Parts: sequence; structure tokens; C-alpha cells
Amino acid sequence: MRTAHPTRAAPKVAVGSPLLTISKLKVAYGGIKALKGIDLEVRRGEIVAMIGANGAGKTTTLKTIARLLPIAEGTITYDGTDVGPLDTEDLVEAGVSLVPEGRAIFGGLTVRENLELGAFNHKDKKLMAETIEDVIGLFPRIGERMKQEAGTLSGGEQQMLAIGRAVMARPTLLLLDEPSLGIAPKLVQQIFEAIAAIADSGTTILLVEQNTRLALKYAKRAYVLLTGEIAKTGESKALAEDPEIQALYLGG
Amino acid sequence: MPSWIKRGALALALVAVAVAAEFAMPVIIPDTAWRVLVQQALVAVVIALSLNVINGMAGQFSIGHAGFVGIGAYTSAVVASHMHARLGSPTDYSFAHSFMIVPPAIIAAGLVAAVFGFLLGLPSLRLKGDYLAIVTLGFAEIFRLLIATSSPGAPEGTLSHTIGQLGGQQGYGGPEDRGIAQYAGGFWLVGGAITAIIIAWRLKFSGWGRALRALRENEVAAAAVGVDPTSYKVTSFVISAIGGGIAGALLAGMRDGTPTVQPDQFNFFFSFDAITMVILGGSGSVSGAVLGGIFVTVTNRIIEQLQRLDSVEAFRIAHPDVDLNALRMVVYAAVLVALMVMRPSGVFGEREIIKGRRGPAEKPA
Repeated sequence: MRTAHPTRAAPKVAVGSPLLTISKLKVAYGGIKALKGIDLEVRRGEIVAMIGANGAGKTTTLKTIARLLPIAEGTITYDGTDVGPLDTEDLVEAGVSLVPEGRAIFGGLTVRENLELGAFNHKDKKLMAETIEDVIGLFPRIGERMKQEAGTLSGGEQQMLAIGRAVMARPTLLLLDEPSLGIAPKLVQQIFEAIAAIADSGTTILLVEQNTRLALKYAKRAYVLLTGEIAKTGESKALAEDPEIQALYLGG
Repeated sequence: MPSWIKRGALALALVAVAVAAEFAMPVIIPDTAWRVLVQQALVAVVIALSLNVINGMAGQFSIGHAGFVGIGAYTSAVVASHMHARLGSPTDYSFAHSFMIVPPAIIAAGLVAAVFGFLLGLPSLRLKGDYLAIVTLGFAEIFRLLIATSSPGAPEGTLSHTIGQLGGQQGYGGPEDRGIAQYAGGFWLVGGAITAIIIAWRLKFSGWGRALRALRENEVAAAAVGVDPTSYKVTSFVISAIGGGIAGALLAGMRDGTPTVQPDQFNFFFSFDAITMVILGGSGSVSGAVLGGIFVTVTNRIIEQLQRLDSVEAFRIAHPDVDLNALRMVVYAAVLVALMVMRPSGVFGEREIIKGRRGPAEKPA
């Protein structure tokens, strides 16, 4: 996995220091409070997971970081910059890419077009070709289907494509929303191995995942969200052994 | 051969075709009625291609394209007629003079339509599907009714009087009603259609076109890769409006057309025909829009012509209670229904006759 970017400088913060800091973040849909003031930190080079039940606010958090939802209160800081006034496309430019939930691919476009759109922010031809090679390295199945309409791929392949497309932007911070949702177990394994490989190349990852066991296996640290608040946080290993987490999220 | 020579040669060839069309059209098609049909079909191609940007490529649904075409038609009619008067109102609309009249008329039409395209693009940021459709319909109807209900005879200083200078319900016929200047002959119509096809083609296969299609497929995902939905949606409306406005300019200035523009030309049925052209050919397909434009124009006329057949005349006399005009719409509708049943995504779907640089998707083996 090559990660150099043609126009973007490396993050200002050092490896191991906070790359993304969320402080007292509140988000509301109409009158409904989806996030009631959460604090969260992702350090450069980490895989961090957010776990929790449906409606806990995990997706809301990711969408708000990506500036797809308005911030009601609180701040989100990425690499020392307040992202509040930025638009989604500015954030992509700054190095934050989101893989939206539910295999959000462009179904009517070919697999190759999907990937090339991922490089929309730099449009660097050479880099594009290189990254496509890397994506094929991660997901050989995608390589076999480059000319196919993306909508005709299987669910797992679509998720692979969505991740590949985000990688095309050569992000510094990758936000992944439920990569395992509705996907055959065999493919889930491949997808998480790929996520681990992306992290190994130096990309920081914030992962939302309902499959707690999987999330805690791959993430270094995790946050447990409960109805819009952070209920628990810590090292994944410690959380996996926490009896409360085991009872609630790991099926006893 | 270097590509610029090839391109230059192709451009010259296309210009030659347009020039040839200017002089050959009256010779090849001596009958005015048929010549008008060909000219209408050429304008329809531009109309369909421009609407295809919003309805096909951007995946928004506008049912008010008549508004843009009408605005373009009125703007160009005013500009062309006044410039024509400046020339001393020569009675022949010579090809040489057309170069002084048509370009400014087209540019003015495009610019004014662009302004309205921008304004109409703004609600598209918040509205989707049916709701946006209603707004576009409302826009077109407001434009039409504003002109139709104004009257040049209204007391001076009123809005009705000002807008009434455009002729009100009777239509606009140039200064002192001497007829609007009709300089758009074969050269401008064929040239306009060719240019529209080239631009539509390049737009579709450009990065811009791809980003627009991405936005249509999945807005959140498009935003997530860095496509700014706001600017893309509004730009698509502006481009579509410019195309519609230019089509209107060509329509108003059509050499063999009627020398007036009337508000009721641009009613809902006009927009409806434009949508039919796009959907019939295949939403998002350039080839489809071209064929759809020609097909709808010609079919309408053929059904009209059929009514003049002796056997139909005899039928009409034998059964005076049957409304044949209504029947015409039934036949037309039946053709559309049949086509939609057989090819739900239009004749071409989103494909093209010839492959683009980034060809259409292959179906899985």
C-alpha cells in the first residue's frame, strides 16, 4: 500500500499523538438528540472502534466528522484544525475519507469508474494507476471485475469496492461505517484483513462496527456508545474481558 | 497524423456540412412544410440534449424545460428583431447578415436562461423527485402566464404594460409587429445541433459528467469522495438552462418558422414532449436524446399528416362525432406505452451508439 499524496503534506501531529479530537460533541436531528456530548480521540496510526447497539449514535458520529451532519455543539479537531467550518469536500482534501454505511457505491457506473471517482480530489493519473494496483492487491476480486457495472457486484464485493474507492483518495484518516453489515462471513474476514493492511501502511482508522467481537479483535482501542453517550472506553483487550461488555455485546 | 490535424479536419468538415445545409436545404426540401419539420427536429435535438443534462445525467426531474426554451425564444426574438431593425430591416434574411444577428441573439438567450437556471437550481438543493418537479413546472407556468396575462394596452407604468411589450397572449412579433427576424437557417440549426451533440458527449464522458452521475447514484457517497453536491447540482441546472435557452433562440429565429413567439407554445405539453424525447431515447444517453428529439417531432407530424389522408377524411365525414384530434393523442400515447413496456429504460438506456472513451459498462459474463 502506497500512501504518499501529491499535494497534501504529512499530518502535523506525530505518530501516536491525537490526529482527531472530538470534544463535547452534540448533534440533533430536528428535536431528537442523537449525540449528547461525546469526547473521543483517535491517535495517528491507530485503529479505533466505536461499538454499540443500533441507534447509539455511531453512524451519526462518523457522518458529523465527515461534515455530512451539522454540529449542534462541541468541536471536532483534525490535525490541529477545527473542522466545523469545513465542507465534506474540504475534509477529503485534508485527508479524511468516509466509507458510508450500506455499500454506498455508484451502482450504474463501472467498478473502474467508481475507483477513479475515489481519486476525485487529486486526479493524479499516475497515482490513480498505482492506487488501483494497490486496491487490486487488497481485493483481487475487484481486479477481476473492473469493467463490470458496480451494481452487479455481490454485497461483499460492493463493500470492498467502497473501501477501495476511499483508499483511492490516499486518506490519512479513514472512517469506516459498518464494513461487515449484511456480508457473508467469509468475505467479512477478507475485508477486515484488508482494513488491517491499510492500517499497517500508516493510515489511521476510525471504525464503526456492530460486530463487537470483530471490532475488538482488530482495533487497538474502542469506545462503547450507549444512546448518544460514551458508556465505556479503553484498550480493546480490556474491554473484551469486561464482564458487562461480554454480557451486553458479546453474547455472554 | 497528429491528433490536432485530425481534429481540425473534422471541425472543418462539420463546418462544411453546416454551410452546405444552409444552401442545400431549400433545394433538397422544396416543400416549406417539410423543411419546417426538419428544422423543428434539429431544434428538438438541442432541447432534448439540454434537458438530458438535468433529467438524465444529474438524475433530477425537471418538467419545466419549456420555461427555459421560452425565455430563450423571447430573449432572442427581442434581440434579433431590434438588431435587424438597426440593419434597416432588409427583407431578405441573408446568410451574411445572419452572422451579425444570430450570435448575439444566441448569447443573450443563453445568458438570460442561465440566470433562471441558477435560480431554479437553488431549490434543487433541498428538494428531490416529485417536489422538485412541481417547482420546475411552476416556474415554467409562471413564465408563460406572466407573458400571456400581460397586455400592451394596460395603463402605462404597470407591470402588465411593461411585460405587455412582449405582446401578451397574442405573441411577440418584433418591433411594430413586423415579424421577428428569422436568420437561423440550415447553417445555424445544423451547426447548433452538431455543437450540442459534441458538448453533450464531452460533458458526459468528462470528469464533470462522471461526478454528476456519481451524485445521481449516491449523494452521500459522492460527497464522501469530494464531489460538492451543491455546485454540481446548480451547475447542471445552469448548463441545461443555457442549452434550453439556445434551443429557444434557434426555434424563434428558425428561417421557415412562423415569425412570432407565443406564450402558449411553451405550455406544459412542450415540456412533456421534451421529457418524452429524453426518456424514450434513454435517460442519460446522448444518442438517445438525439433520436428521441427526432422521433417525437417526426411522429407528431406523421400522425398529423395521416389525418389528411382521403380515407381518414371519408371516415371523418361518415362519423362526425368522433374527435380525431383526441385520437391522435391516443395513438401517440399508445406508441409510448408500447415502447416503455418493451424497453423500460428507453431505446438506448444509458448507452451510446458508438463507444465513448470510457465505454459503457459490460454486463457480467
